[in-house]
Amino acid sequence: MIVLLRDLLRDSPEFRIGAVLVVFVLLLSVLASFSPYPPESVYVVPPDVPPSLTYWFGTTSRGQDVFWQLSFAIRNTLLFGCTVALISRLFALVIGLISGYKGGWIDRALMSVNDTFIVIPLLPILVLFYFMMRDRISWLMLALIMACFGWAYDARLIRSVVMSLKAREFTQTSLFSGMSTRQILTEEHLPYVMPIVFSTTMNNMVWSIGLEVTLAVLGFTDINTPTVGGMIYWANQHTAMVAGVWWWIVFPTITVIMVFIGLFLLAVSANAYIDPRSRLWSMEGAS
Amino acid sequence: MRGYLAYVGRRFGQFLLVVFIGINIAYVVTHASPIDPVEQSISAVTSYGNTAPGAIEQMRNSLRELYGLSGTPVEQYLLFWKRILRADFGPSMSAFPTPVGTLIGRALPWTAGLLAVSTIVAWGLGNLLGGLAGYYRQSRGLKLMGVIAMGLHPIPYYILAMLLLIVFGFLWPVLPISGGSAMNLPQTLTPEFVLSVLQHAILPALSLILIGIGSWFLGMRSLVSNVLAEDFVVYAELAGVRSWRVLTSYVMRNALVPQVTGLAMSLGGIFNGAVITEKVFGYPGLGSLLVDAVYAGDYGLVLGVTTISILGVSIGVLAIDLLYPLLDPRVRVS
Amino acid sequence: MHANAQSAPAPQGAQPILRVRDLQAHYRTSHFGVRRGVKAVDGVSFAVNRGEIYGLAGESSSGKTTLIKSIAGAIRPPLEIVGGSVEFAFLPGYGGLHRAPPVDVARIRWRHLSYIMQGSMNVLNPVRRVRSVFVDFAYPHIGGSRKQFEQQVIAHLARVRLDPSVLAAFPHELSGGMRQRTTLALATICRPDFIIADEPTTALDVVVQKEVLGMIRGIQRETGSSVLFVTHDMGVHAHVTDRLAIMYAGRLVEEAATAEIFRNPLHPYTRHLISSRPRIGDDTPREGLGGSPPNLADPPPGCRFHPRCPLATEICKREVPAMLEADTGHRVACFAVNQGSRP
Repeated sequence: MIVLLRDLLRDSPEFRIGAVLVVFVLLLSVLASFSPYPPESVYVVPPDVPPSLTYWFGTTSRGQDVFWQLSFAIRNTLLFGCTVALISRLFALVIGLISGYKGGWIDRALMSVNDTFIVIPLLPILVLFYFMMRDRISWLMLALIMACFGWAYDARLIRSVVMSLKAREFTQTSLFSGMSTRQILTEEHLPYVMPIVFSTTMNNMVWSIGLEVTLAVLGFTDINTPTVGGMIYWANQHTAMVAGVWWWIVFPTITVIMVFIGLFLLAVSANAYIDPRSRLWSMEGAS
Repeated sequence: MRGYLAYVGRRFGQFLLVVFIGINIAYVVTHASPIDPVEQSISAVTSYGNTAPGAIEQMRNSLRELYGLSGTPVEQYLLFWKRILRADFGPSMSAFPTPVGTLIGRALPWTAGLLAVSTIVAWGLGNLLGGLAGYYRQSRGLKLMGVIAMGLHPIPYYILAMLLLIVFGFLWPVLPISGGSAMNLPQTLTPEFVLSVLQHAILPALSLILIGIGSWFLGMRSLVSNVLAEDFVVYAELAGVRSWRVLTSYVMRNALVPQVTGLAMSLGGIFNGAVITEKVFGYPGLGSLLVDAVYAGDYGLVLGVTTISILGVSIGVLAIDLLYPLLDPRVRVS
Repeated sequence: MHANAQSAPAPQGAQPILRVRDLQAHYRTSHFGVRRGVKAVDGVSFAVNRGEIYGLAGESSSGKTTLIKSIAGAIRPPLEIVGGSVEFAFLPGYGGLHRAPPVDVARIRWRHLSYIMQGSMNVLNPVRRVRSVFVDFAYPHIGGSRKQFEQQVIAHLARVRLDPSVLAAFPHELSGGMRQRTTLALATICRPDFIIADEPTTALDVVVQKEVLGMIRGIQRETGSSVLFVTHDMGVHAHVTDRLAIMYAGRLVEEAATAEIFRNPLHPYTRHLISSRPRIGDDTPREGLGGSPPNLADPPPGCRFHPRCPLATEICKREVPAMLEADTGHRVACFAVNQGSRP
């Protein structure tokens, strides 16, 4: 593991940049625990103060310190992404493993449902969901709903890996030695599938955080829990750009862009490390 | 020919499944919710002033009828489907008495036009540049483009649209940042109107295209680097086939095949992007209609836009699927 | 092209059509910090005469595919030509396609030097009709009107017993044998001086294999082309080649007229290759060769065959044996053999 990290750090500029961005944002989110103000309270500092030594990122029109507010927001946003990614990984793994290993009509049926979930436009459904739930919508509920939709693409990837594993000899050997399907899948195939799961986790977080930000800026989430999208929502409510309180929008935007690019670059470099075909690439780059 | 028909049959079956599951999700979301849309509409109306109790009871009954919430669950379910198949969502509450169908009909061409143009441009340009970048790997310009694509691709539509809005709305105000056309122009086919429509479409289309290009570029670049190692490419190069011909008819032509499947698979996501982009730029399409309907508490309109969106995206996917055999002759036989 | 329709080797002293001198081709890779160098071809010299079919035999990891890639100028990273030269009579003065100006290389490709590739499934573009492939490959060299060209292609297809209807087909619509005959027609339509054939019949079943081999031989006699014929299958070599070179771990170990090699194999590895061929009616147990082919990233010193060689002595572990003429036209690289035959 340490060797792997060292190799990636040394030989993949994508990984270096991605790691720096993600570590920076993680540090910011850890700082939330040391905030002098609780996240929900308003008018604790003078409003509309531009960035200064006292208030690094300035203060909002609601009398909140942008820096501390942002550290809460980014913590909640990352936690949201992780929750969705974790739950949807479970779905993707189960569906992908079964579909790829069983084949036949089970595979066809599962993949039909799978492709349906890939194709359905999710945003209108999430908006409809918010419309029906209104203020009762909670952070966890939204995460669960998105997890129910966010597994399909990755289940397909996992399925294709399992299908190629199934054709290999060791699967047959395990089958003849009397292992059950569950044993073969969890003990023999899972180790080969895990690297893909890791790289899709990052991509899934990019996806779910992106949707969460989108819903939040429209006000279609629980707006009282600070998230990055929620901060932009409140800034828009107070027409921050027009009022010249640009720091209220600019700092959350920069931070969330760092999250997206950082996670995406980690996923890209992890993929390059896993995928033997892209190894050819790095060979050509080297010579 | 028989292979093609079997393929068409399978894709049509998948289309029906998407519509079926999508509409059912909409049904479950609306009917399993703890909040009653009827009571919500009533409280929205009554909050403006006192209404006679008898009138409220009458309103409750007619709303129940209107929203399809009266009768047994089975009746409600069948009625739900009947209305969708006839595209009959009743009158809009926020724009009473205009039918929801009319509002959607007005918004649909804007969204369809914006989506079609920006998707085709992004797909075409992204694949072309990505193909070149995969083939001419030493080119500095194309490498730089790869870096830009990596930076743009993961950014969500809302953030990019907002950045464009800030740049062209506040820092350098040269383009219209809101609406589908200038307010003072009648919506007839005059040159002024068309020009105004095009001007207003630039920013929404640009944000959709910039993000789209990034993902097609990266996908095509890695596909091309895989195709380059294929025997038929090496063979054509050994035969001294001109490199432009190898690049177009051998490398990119083959790499394009999975990109068509990719387009069908990402249409839903692109539609999501269009919804939010329209809202940012106040573009008069389905996205703005949907968000405004939520703010106005218009149940029929929200449901109508959602179901039409599911239907529209599924039709788009089906259309791409049916074009696919043109690009891949192997489908036509097996 | 060449009226000379002989299959026998050209008389000694005539200019060979291909001369390879001390060719060295290595793979250099670096993947996430792991650097590797593989000496796939390490000092190979031979010459091919006009009008002959020159065979190249060896195991699958012996470097023969790398050798023909280097000769054909199909050099892409991580493959690199490290030393030596490749001289074709029709492209003199550059020492290899990889060193010649691209314009000249494009001019001789297919017109003078063509290629039949291993595996018939993937050498034809799956989304392009056979007609367009013929146009891409051969039309720039043949010219004339499209109609004339098509007539010529149809006539040529008849030589490999293919119906003109294949022109309208996509590759996946043809059987394996038809595809291989299509590539054969494609490689020979310009009547090239030199054809490189890399395992052209390996993927085919025995009946089709024999048919295709016969066609290669027939077309070669008719056009007078020279062929570099590469396969691991000694039976195929016995059937079609005039002269034969044996390759082991990136080097040549023996070269002679094919009949001579089968009659009188000198190198221990050649003997092993020939004796391990199955023969009908012969059920004496075959002596296996101990060990496995060397890892070319870290080959043994001296003669690369010594760890598996029954005749190995001390010198074999230290020094590299040179290819020396043991008999007229029979070269071999082995200390044991060369000591025995040369006092």
